[in-house]
Amino acid sequence: MAVVTALRPRSIARTETAPRARRTIPPLPAAARPIVWGPTVVALVLVGLAWQAVAAGNPYILPRLPAVGTAFLADPLLFVSNAWATLQIALLGLVYGFGVAFVLAVLTSEFTLLRRAIMPLASVLNVTPVVALAPGLVVAFGFGMAPKVIVTAIITFFPVLANVSTGLRSVQGPVLDVFHTLQASRLEVLRRLRIPSAMPYTIAALRVTLPLSVVGAVVAEFVAAGSSTGLGTVIKTSAANSQLAQMYAAIGCLALLGVLMLAVITAFERRLLFWHESQQRRR
Amino acid sequence: MTTVTLPAHVLADPEHILVREVDKTYPGASARALDDIDLVIRRGEFVSLIGPSGCGKSTLLRALAGLEPIDTGSITIYGATPREACSQKAVGLVPQTPALLPWLTVRQNVELPGKVNRAASKRRAHRQGMGASSVGRTDPDELLDLVGLAEKRDAYPGELSGGMQQRVAIARAFGLEPDVLLMDEPFSALDEFTREAMRLHLLSLWQRMRTTVVFVTHSVREAVTLSDRIVVMSARPGRIHELIDVDLPRPRDREVLAGPGLHAVEDRVRDSLQRAWDSGAVPSDLVPA
Repeated sequence: MAVVTALRPRSIARTETAPRARRTIPPLPAAARPIVWGPTVVALVLVGLAWQAVAAGNPYILPRLPAVGTAFLADPLLFVSNAWATLQIALLGLVYGFGVAFVLAVLTSEFTLLRRAIMPLASVLNVTPVVALAPGLVVAFGFGMAPKVIVTAIITFFPVLANVSTGLRSVQGPVLDVFHTLQASRLEVLRRLRIPSAMPYTIAALRVTLPLSVVGAVVAEFVAAGSSTGLGTVIKTSAANSQLAQMYAAIGCLALLGVLMLAVITAFERRLLFWHESQQRRR
Repeated sequence: MTTVTLPAHVLADPEHILVREVDKTYPGASARALDDIDLVIRRGEFVSLIGPSGCGKSTLLRALAGLEPIDTGSITIYGATPREACSQKAVGLVPQTPALLPWLTVRQNVELPGKVNRAASKRRAHRQGMGASSVGRTDPDELLDLVGLAEKRDAYPGELSGGMQQRVAIARAFGLEPDVLLMDEPFSALDEFTREAMRLHLLSLWQRMRTTVVFVTHSVREAVTLSDRIVVMSARPGRIHELIDVDLPRPRDREVLAGPGLHAVEDRVRDSLQRAWDSGAVPSDLVPA
């Protein structure tokens, strides 16, 4: 829905209806029509009411929504600074995880021997619960940022490796034939053909790993004893002190962080993948 | 400026593409894809390969492009092996699908062959042997104009129809000014009306560029309209059944193409195809159980 909305320029809608403007009401942009946003609002209100109903009877299990708002407003700086700490770890981990995975995807797609050596290891790493690795990493790398960044990097590593590898192999035979008759070097095929062809897969990987990087950072903050910053730490300490309103305010901040990341990647996708089927206007 | 002198064997025959006693069997296949193929193509000639599916016409084309290894025999393109010819950017390929890069504009797609493997362009500019050494320097805008897509130069392939995309692919291949242009059923995915228009586009482009063309098709009308010579092939094993000269005048304008001469040649090709079909083994999937 959102894609259709954004791709339909308002000016076209207006010029189309201009001659008949007196008799018909010009259609609103899709996002402004109640039929589009109505269901979302109704669902939100229902969930909010259900929450309030449960919270009214069990204040020690679930805080009331206004209390969550109050907790946030009581010390907004606490949430913003800790969100920033978590975001730093998430993004830094993503940069490392993505970077290493992308380079490895290119190398393994070019060299079969390397693929056979690395892919089984990567798969094992992927199925190992990262939470289980975290304590060991803390022991090895101390209590600073390093272990948290590494946990995040590991959690984002595999989706990027798997997606980009598939993307690099997704080049159509006929296009490769054209490049081969020109005797293009492997580097040229990679640069002009394989990497651009892998772009949709790379973006899809980012779509998965951006929110995942926040998961990685929060998990790392949970596990790393003595962690003093980050929304994960706020959640851990406020849960331990039964400050439920503060805990849910922190969870709300994490959700907001995830939504912002998705918004950024969607905008990025529209710019970079304007040529891809996924971005064509639906008829 | 240094000149690149090609090996002696390359200089031997700068005017012909020679296919000599070529055999090829795909691993696991029961019949030969190519069986004792002998063919001589003169420079500047437009030759079509036609035959039932499985007759090896596409395999032969791919072998000419150096994309398919052959078991025995030899293929030389103006004296050079297909690989050597490709390393001079002497071979242009138009595959069945347009095979354009969707993230580049139409114009950038046409310019692409010039940008890839620049060393080959230089080699080609200074070579001796293999006959003419024109370098792919045709203006991309002029080419797009010739295929009727001048105003689409800044569009992306996704915004074009299938026929337009294939015209871009043809412009791209001609832009290289290859010594031989290999076209593998380039119009087979298009509807009949578009095919008709595409043939005329290709005829006028060829009339101007006079490139040697090897054209694979399964349409008799297409083969007769375009070619100087038609190679009729039979399947299982893939053999050359008959060579048919198309003695229609050029340029082939609408008058020639509507005349009785065209139909006479078409009938000859159809008869030959029928006999080729009868002579070849019946495909196993058509034999009643």
